[in-house]
Amino acid sequence: MLADLTLVAQIAVKSSVAVLLAGLGEVLAERSGIFNLGQEGMMLAGALAGFAAGAVSGDPWLALGAAMLAGMLLAGLHALFTVGLGADQVLSGLAVALLGSGITGFLGRNWISRPGLRLGAWDVPVLAGIPVLGDIFFRQPPLAYAAYVLLPLVCWVLYRTRAGLCIRAAGENAQAADAAGAPVRLTRTLCTLTGGAFSGLAGAYLSLSYTPGWKDGMTAGQGFIAIAMVIFATWRPQRVAAGALLFGGLSALQFYFQVAGLDLAPVWVLRILPYVLTLAVLVAANVLGPLKRLARAPADLGRPFFRE
Amino acid sequence: MIRLVPRHDQGARHGPAARGGLWALALALVLALVSGAMAFSLLGADFLQAYAAMASGALGSAQARMDVLLKAGPLTLTGLAVALCCRLKHWNIGAEGQFVLGAVGAGLLGLRLLPDAGPWLLLPGCLLAGALFGALWAAVPALLRTRCGVNEILSTLLLNYVAIIFMEHLYFGPWRDPAGFGFPGTAELPAAAWLPLWPGTRLHLGLALALLCALLLWLAQERTRYGFQCRVLGQSPEAARYAGFRVDRITLVSFLFSGALAGLAGACEVLGAQHRLQDGLASGFGFDGIIVAFLARLHPLGVPAAALFLAVILVGGDQLQTALGLPGAVVRILEAALLFGVLAGDWLAGRRLVVGSREADHAG
Amino acid sequence: MTQTTPLLACRGLTKRFGPFTANAAVDLDLFAGRVHALLGENGAGKSTLMHMLSGRYRPDAGSILLQGQPVRFASPAQSLRRGIGMVHQRFLLVEPLTVAENLSLGLGRLVSAAEVRDLSQRFGVAVDPVRRVEDLSMGERQRVEILKLLARDAMVLILDEPASVLAPEEARELYALLRVLARDGRAVVFISHKLEEIGRSADEVTVLRRGRVVARGLAPASDLDPADLARLMTGGEPAPVDQSARPEPGEVVFAGTGLVGGDSRGMGFSGIDLTVRRGEIFAVVGVAGNGQEDLAAALGGVRPFAAGEITFLGQGLPAQRWGGHRRAVAYVPEDRHGRATAPDLDLTDNYLLTAACGAGFLPDFAEAGRRVRRALEAFRIAAPGPGARARQLSGGNLQKFILARELDREAPLLVAEQPTQGLDVAALAEIQAVLRRAASDRAVILFTGDPEEALALGSRVAVMYRGRLAGTLDPADPGALDRVGRLMAGLEAA
Repeated sequence: MLADLTLVAQIAVKSSVAVLLAGLGEVLAERSGIFNLGQEGMMLAGALAGFAAGAVSGDPWLALGAAMLAGMLLAGLHALFTVGLGADQVLSGLAVALLGSGITGFLGRNWISRPGLRLGAWDVPVLAGIPVLGDIFFRQPPLAYAAYVLLPLVCWVLYRTRAGLCIRAAGENAQAADAAGAPVRLTRTLCTLTGGAFSGLAGAYLSLSYTPGWKDGMTAGQGFIAIAMVIFATWRPQRVAAGALLFGGLSALQFYFQVAGLDLAPVWVLRILPYVLTLAVLVAANVLGPLKRLARAPADLGRPFFRE
Repeated sequence: MIRLVPRHDQGARHGPAARGGLWALALALVLALVSGAMAFSLLGADFLQAYAAMASGALGSAQARMDVLLKAGPLTLTGLAVALCCRLKHWNIGAEGQFVLGAVGAGLLGLRLLPDAGPWLLLPGCLLAGALFGALWAAVPALLRTRCGVNEILSTLLLNYVAIIFMEHLYFGPWRDPAGFGFPGTAELPAAAWLPLWPGTRLHLGLALALLCALLLWLAQERTRYGFQCRVLGQSPEAARYAGFRVDRITLVSFLFSGALAGLAGACEVLGAQHRLQDGLASGFGFDGIIVAFLARLHPLGVPAAALFLAVILVGGDQLQTALGLPGAVVRILEAALLFGVLAGDWLAGRRLVVGSREADHAG
Repeated sequence: MTQTTPLLACRGLTKRFGPFTANAAVDLDLFAGRVHALLGENGAGKSTLMHMLSGRYRPDAGSILLQGQPVRFASPAQSLRRGIGMVHQRFLLVEPLTVAENLSLGLGRLVSAAEVRDLSQRFGVAVDPVRRVEDLSMGERQRVEILKLLARDAMVLILDEPASVLAPEEARELYALLRVLARDGRAVVFISHKLEEIGRSADEVTVLRRGRVVARGLAPASDLDPADLARLMTGGEPAPVDQSARPEPGEVVFAGTGLVGGDSRGMGFSGIDLTVRRGEIFAVVGVAGNGQEDLAAALGGVRPFAAGEITFLGQGLPAQRWGGHRRAVAYVPEDRHGRATAPDLDLTDNYLLTAACGAGFLPDFAEAGRRVRRALEAFRIAAPGPGARARQLSGGNLQKFILARELDREAPLLVAEQPTQGLDVAALAEIQAVLRRAASDRAVILFTGDPEEALALGSRVAVMYRGRLAGTLDPADPGALDRVGRLMAGLEAA
């Protein structure tokens, strides 16, 4: 029983890494005021770039670097339109998603079913030996460990640095931030680019570790789930981890039920739970007064900034 | 020094209904074609050849032309659905989910509730069911917005997935065709529910219904009190409140109409083309509707034209595979180029060239 | 008390916005160590002048001298670097962030709570670094804004109506603080309406009227008679009022007693008794922010009354139900561009906003167009036609259009809020003429910030102060303008 639970938990963590990485990037972007629907496109770009670079060079660092660059290029396009031109963020994000999907579908046609670099599970010395917890957290692919490090890093940047202050101010009241001298447009651009880099990493995780290989559309909606998880986490990076684990846990449960032949809950219910729960959080945040302050979206999210 | 400076005589400068007018649209299309060409070239394909292949692929044969028209119908309806809400400055990204639920509604009536009814009852019934289900699915984000202040971009997005997963559950599970040879999908709907075809072709009534809806929506927007109130509310919510309009009611009704249109599109796709619920039903008509609405500048009479244009691109894109060995994914690149091109065109149209010294400061 | 060079001064400062001159040839001296009060009515040009001194606007003519040296500022950031800081009426604070975080933003580096407490003690400005701005009172928020400037070594402090958002106790604390800050060698200037506090709060006073200085550097402020100041603000003798043109008032159209209303944001109003007859203009005059906005909106049916009784054309009803009588009230709100009209819609659509044409479901656009055309002619409105967008009309023409629309509705009661605000002299006269004509067959309640206009148009004039009607006068009375000025400043009761 314990072994089963441990296995499920291990799979849950493994399934949550991509969403966590992409979610962390999106949190930074949204806290600065930019809503980026293009996650799918950036993740796909990262997946293909990482896979291709890894297959050609065999060098994992090169692969990850390529993945981050690919994500950043697409994010840069989004930033150009939303921050530079003040264009509608929904449309620009959708365009980025389409572009990423199209470019990777096109370029990836020669990479389907080809073998490539595999970044399999790597046991952390000492820590992997811890009973139960060690199995769950420290026998994961390397990018999972990157996620463990990036999570507190993002929290630290957001809440304890001057840059984080600029980010939060730009997202809450861009006019006031600008009047105080904070570089709003630069901040939003950098946050969007960082989001792209993280999404690229998330994509590379999928193609190098989770389901190794390249397949057209392999992100299968995880980009949009990441966006939903940011909302579920009420825009706080520490809660994004909870959201990602929720998603990962549900995926693991689905898998487990299939394998064990159990039918405790219909699969489709498990699949819609992440979305329904996110909606519930949204409603609760708006309806329950005291929660409102805790769960509010950044006030200037989605609004283009023009110096008045 | 030459600079681009915002025009001050423009009204609502940003978003889908930017006031560039046709001049901006033309500029946008040119930019889109150019960026598409750039994308092609960067990817190692000859863009002239590619465009030519697409054109002939979409318009060259009777079969292809038929495919274009078959796609134009649902695209028109989802485009209208998105345009309707957008005029009120609300995004209905949930058209995909409403489309799917419309199909489910039609399926419910045709496969489960009234499988033996006659065509005069079943066909209109299925269409109505589709519209109704779509409307109800749109009512959820609408109510969440008006009662709880939940942002409809987020709620419609989330509900899309719920709808798609639910539909997949239906045709994988309880509604699965036992004689399906392992392919996931429902049984065919009874012939009594099928949309009639233009004699000798595959073109079903859906296109005509779509064009009718475009006309009706246009008339409603221009001539009725409801359309007038929407116009005011979308342009100037403060004035609407001053005039005593019931803002929440107007928003809810608009979402209901919007969902109904998208649901109708789903029902037509099932009743006219695919005849069953299966994989590939949720093929992005809802999302493409956003592009159509945006291209049409939210104008109901422009939507069919934009839908036709997008259908040509989509069908032509399918042809690229056979003609040039390019995967169909290229179409998505073109769609993205279109969107970016229009966004850039709008921005340019909202500006004018200024040559010379610094502008005098503006009145605060 | 002799002073050497003023810390900040301006000579001949002029600012125009299109045809409208906001400031003309203004000279002002601000000395270190002194608190200077700038007085004037709404629209006298006080804020514009301060914005020029702080670098937000560039003057069209004249010069600004910092310690005797001419300077030009391209932005508030630049002027702050030279030591001039401004606290606006609407604070530029990021609400969900803490005080320390907002200060960090302003200073461009992270400041710890300890550092904030240090600054707070050094300057004598009491703030709590760890609390979020959204939890602070207005007075506390204002102190944060002031501290932001002090931390940047601002030596000239400009405050735009600082007392308007404060309770009386907080205002006293603020004035005490300003004195301390001035004593430390700074020049402090603030804009005010509160004549009764000027003596205690400032060292010297300058009065602006219609963009010009009418009295400069009056000192010591404690010796000044607020009544004199009020007279300076409103101008000397009023033009003789033409009583012959007034028709005899008819039956009572609207009578309200004990009216109470307003929301948490504004001042609100209470205990309002007013009666208007057909054929008369009842003018309500007051400084902005004394509750007129709430009263006008409630009378117009746009916002609800909280309590009171109303008798309308002989029928009695509780005031809370007044909203149902919207059809009977023609309401012209203050915001003509964003509320009374939709700027991007054409005139026909804007006409239909309140003047219904055609039954329910299908409005009669053709008839509306015809009526718009008639209105354009009758009121001599300069517009291309009913298809022109509202945005294209000038302020005066738009106001004429709005009045034409509301008069077409033939409602027995017309509520007009600041109808001549921001208009040039010619348009102003036209609107006033329209209002006079309108009064002949309906009851008119006019809200204005200009006492002269109230006396010229009103058959009876009432002054609104702190949410109550402070007094009603007959405009034909020779001392009326004086009394109005004093009532507006709160120097008299009833």
